[in-house]
Amino acid sequence: MAPHPRHVKGESRGHYIGPVVTTEPTPLECHQVTKVFGDNLAAAHSLLADGRDRQMVLDQTGCLVAVRDATFSVERGETFVVMGLSGSGKSTLIRCLSRLIEPTSGTVKIDGTPIGDLDDQELRELRRQRLSMVFQHFGLFPHRKVIDNVAFGLEIQGAAKSDRYERALEVLSVVGLGDWADHFPQQLSGGMQQRVGLARALCVEPEILFFDEPFSALDPLIRRDMQDELLSLQARMRRTLVFITHDFHEALKLGDRIAIMKDGEFVQVGTPEQIVSAPADDYVREFTEDAPKTKVITVGSVMRPLDGAVPAGEPVNLDAVLDDVLPRLLANPAALPVADDRGEVVGTVDRDRVVALLDENSRSGAAGAGRTADQL
Amino acid sequence: MTAAPPATRSSEVASAVEARLTLDRRRRTRSGSELVVGLAIVVAAQLALSAVGGFPESWAVPLADWIDDARRWVINNQTTHWSFSFIFNPISDAIDWGLRTVERFLLWLPWYVVAAAGGMVAASALGMRAGLFAAVGVLYFGAIELWEESLQTVALMTVAVGISVAIGVPVGIASARYDRLRRSLRPLLDAMQTLPAFVYLIPVVLLFGVARVPAIIATVVYSLPPVIRLTDLGIRTVSPATVEAAEMFGATPRQTLRKVQLPQALPSVLTGINQTIMMALSIVVIAALIGAGGLGQVVLESLRRLFVGRALEAGLAIVVLAMLMDRVTHGAAGLGARRRRLRLMPDSLERLGFVRAIEGALASVDRALCTFGAVLARPMRHAPGLASLAGRPRWVLGLFALVVVTVVSAVLGRPGFPSAITFSFAPAIDWLVDWVRDNLYEIGGTWFGTGWFSDSITIYAVTPLRELFSADLAWPVVVLAVALAGWRLGGAPLATFCTACVAGLGFLGMWTLSMDTLAQVIVAVVMAILCGIPLGVLAARSDRFERMLKPVLDFLQTIPSFVLLVPVIIMFNVGRIPGIIASVLYALPAATRLTNLGIRQVEGEATEASRAFGATRGQTLRKVQLPLAAPSIMAGINQTVMLVLAMVVIAGLVGGGGLGLETVKGLRRTDSVGSGFVAGLAIVLLAMLLDRLLQAWTRRFTPVEGGP
Repeated sequence: MAPHPRHVKGESRGHYIGPVVTTEPTPLECHQVTKVFGDNLAAAHSLLADGRDRQMVLDQTGCLVAVRDATFSVERGETFVVMGLSGSGKSTLIRCLSRLIEPTSGTVKIDGTPIGDLDDQELRELRRQRLSMVFQHFGLFPHRKVIDNVAFGLEIQGAAKSDRYERALEVLSVVGLGDWADHFPQQLSGGMQQRVGLARALCVEPEILFFDEPFSALDPLIRRDMQDELLSLQARMRRTLVFITHDFHEALKLGDRIAIMKDGEFVQVGTPEQIVSAPADDYVREFTEDAPKTKVITVGSVMRPLDGAVPAGEPVNLDAVLDDVLPRLLANPAALPVADDRGEVVGTVDRDRVVALLDENSRSGAAGAGRTADQL
Repeated sequence: MTAAPPATRSSEVASAVEARLTLDRRRRTRSGSELVVGLAIVVAAQLALSAVGGFPESWAVPLADWIDDARRWVINNQTTHWSFSFIFNPISDAIDWGLRTVERFLLWLPWYVVAAAGGMVAASALGMRAGLFAAVGVLYFGAIELWEESLQTVALMTVAVGISVAIGVPVGIASARYDRLRRSLRPLLDAMQTLPAFVYLIPVVLLFGVARVPAIIATVVYSLPPVIRLTDLGIRTVSPATVEAAEMFGATPRQTLRKVQLPQALPSVLTGINQTIMMALSIVVIAALIGAGGLGQVVLESLRRLFVGRALEAGLAIVVLAMLMDRVTHGAAGLGARRRRLRLMPDSLERLGFVRAIEGALASVDRALCTFGAVLARPMRHAPGLASLAGRPRWVLGLFALVVVTVVSAVLGRPGFPSAITFSFAPAIDWLVDWVRDNLYEIGGTWFGTGWFSDSITIYAVTPLRELFSADLAWPVVVLAVALAGWRLGGAPLATFCTACVAGLGFLGMWTLSMDTLAQVIVAVVMAILCGIPLGVLAARSDRFERMLKPVLDFLQTIPSFVLLVPVIIMFNVGRIPGIIASVLYALPAATRLTNLGIRQVEGEATEASRAFGATRGQTLRKVQLPLAAPSIMAGINQTVMLVLAMVVIAGLVGGGGLGLETVKGLRRTDSVGSGFVAGLAIVLLAMLLDRLLQAWTRRFTPVEGGP
């Protein structure tokens, strides 16, 4: 197991500057994780092995297939979003990752260690040291003050009161609740309560954070604030996040990669851009239809390869999204140079390309055959 | 949608409507005709068997004799048999030791320390006003010269409730964790709550004899269910999200229990303890039947000799004790939710200038005392051993002061309760009893008065019913009628169960007494329902009426049942009627409360929808609220029946006769333990019979649950 330095009093925090490219093991790997609820598991499994669908398994065995063959891995510092409608099995999946729900089959590896093999004590140790979770309905302890909620994880680990309060106050001020430590959770608004939930999860300095629809119980405006806050926190801390949501926009906004889940199975896994520009099937396409494409599609995917002269003007980065260049394109009909990370100009982008893409994409749903930006 | 005008209504629609109406009519006739057929069968059977009469005495099983034999065996082997020397006697000795220690300690304390302690406990849970009330309440014990008896009862309660909590909380926790344990406990707890109180007394008397220890054991057994149930419920209703969160942070099961589940379940556990205390207090008098002593003994003796005034004095002491314990534990359950300001008068009076002035003055005295205490405490901070007192909450200082006063009193010699502040209102009550008897029995020499009222109930309801059940109707007809009712409501299993229960009454040799009791129960239940449900409907429709009714219902539910007997005896003398009326008063709150609750719980939207369609208030009540409230109302009726049955024995104390009297006799005299036990068993059979029938009936009103 990779020895990740635990928090020692006085030591600086936030060691991860960005995704670390080393030989250390992948933080989270899932291989064919399946969860079936019901009594007749053997029969359900043989039907699944025969490739029967979930309705048939339900009809014949009375067992509910909540998650089926989920396989994915999450890199260090990456935000992996699982998006699906209610009943798609995403909440079950995220609970399988920490064995809050015992998967029926498949393996989950954390830092290369299969967690299915751990005994109770080892599993507790793993949860205490490396994992954390933010819950949909906050899961705050109503009988404890905000600070005692936040310090709970450290308390469970047996940390001294002064140490855990110091750390809890620090995290509380990170989420902007420094003044609320002595209140009870029910005295706080929903958004503030979820900040407490977030602080509680961050307080133990976990490597991997699970988010189970954390913002779905919040008002739209508060939700947006919380998303922005999470983005900025993540930009600073660079943890490994698994985020569950039923909101496609939220998935696009937060996810480095997104898995779309339907009826317990992954329909498509990819970057927001891949999903928006190349939906795997009609189900995914329905979500993408009113997605804010200009916020997702990058300049790199619509540029023309450089042939000949480099246009005048400040080059835009390959990874910039269309929203970033639209004002300049609208103001100036001429093409803009596109540069890669090293600053070398590799192509051009102009108004016609963008308009053509947006037009294509908006009609592709109706046409039934989406063409990807790469094909243009 | 546009409805087709009648003229153009197609013939298909017309025939569909016709078919529906026919179906409806047929269904109604069927349930009507079933009733008619059932009645016809019963009447025919009665005509055929008119000569049979009551259950033949010779068929009775001599169970009473066997029990008397068992009792004799217990007495003879108490010192020799291993089960006594190794199990029952050690238990008994331990409880006895605990009781005597607590009692001796309480009686050793000077009276003013006890009063101050009571006041402080109440004040810390509920505020100053309650504290003053509690202190005065404790002084009342001494003022009516029942100091010793009151503290005996307090000691008995302390030990009994302590044992109940020590058993109940762990069992509740275990039952919350292990479903299997919970499933096996449930029928036991259900049975314990359905059975009338005194039923526990008889087996305890068999094993432990008549004394204070068996009284404690019976009290523990009787009062155990709520604390188990509410601990279990409290832990189970802790939000699963918080338990999951604890698990996710790597908490061990023990940590989860201690840090997450128990703290959240605490209000529920405290409510359970509160109910346990109230149940324990409610059988103080019954427990006195088997030698619990204390206040119950005084009430019992006084009632027996018709010293109504003295009974009321002692009864009020129990009420005071009950109110104190109820309020304090309630306050503890809602801790932190209340204001702790010094208050003497009801809030509603605070509009008056002089009340505000008094309260303000008291508040400043309180503040001054606190400052004074703090100043006093300051030098003590440097004294060795006292340093830890500084900065502690007020109650620590209070406790410290009490200990100091106690020690000083012990050194100087403790004064007894001063006779100067004793009083007695018993003579006044006794005078009132005489006056009522002389003047209200027949008001102004006319036929009208309480005498007429109780005579009418006796002549037109109780006696005819009793004669009908026990003599006029052949016993197989009674069995048949009950079996038919069981079959109609719950099919063959319920019919079998009911038949067994009714026949059991006969085989126990308790047929006549049971029918006597049944007649009284039916009259009491009908009266309670006729008063209770309309009151509930009125309370549901008028917030003002509900507010007026609430303290009355609270009072009826909080005071121990036998205390109800006192005013009833004042009004109606002794006999069957006071027992019935006390039962009605005792059971009334259940019917009223659940009717009110049921109607008020009907979703606002349903009521609004009905009003939006232009329904009158009466229509809304009849067509929407009452049908939706039916399950709750039925539950109220069920509880009414159970409460009335629980009063049977108490009614037996004042001449209610029937099974109650037989049970009381059995508890009072060791030579008739057997027949008392059998009578108790008969009450249990009656209770189970009525309970099961009513529950089956209630289920028919419960709306269909769940959807696709």
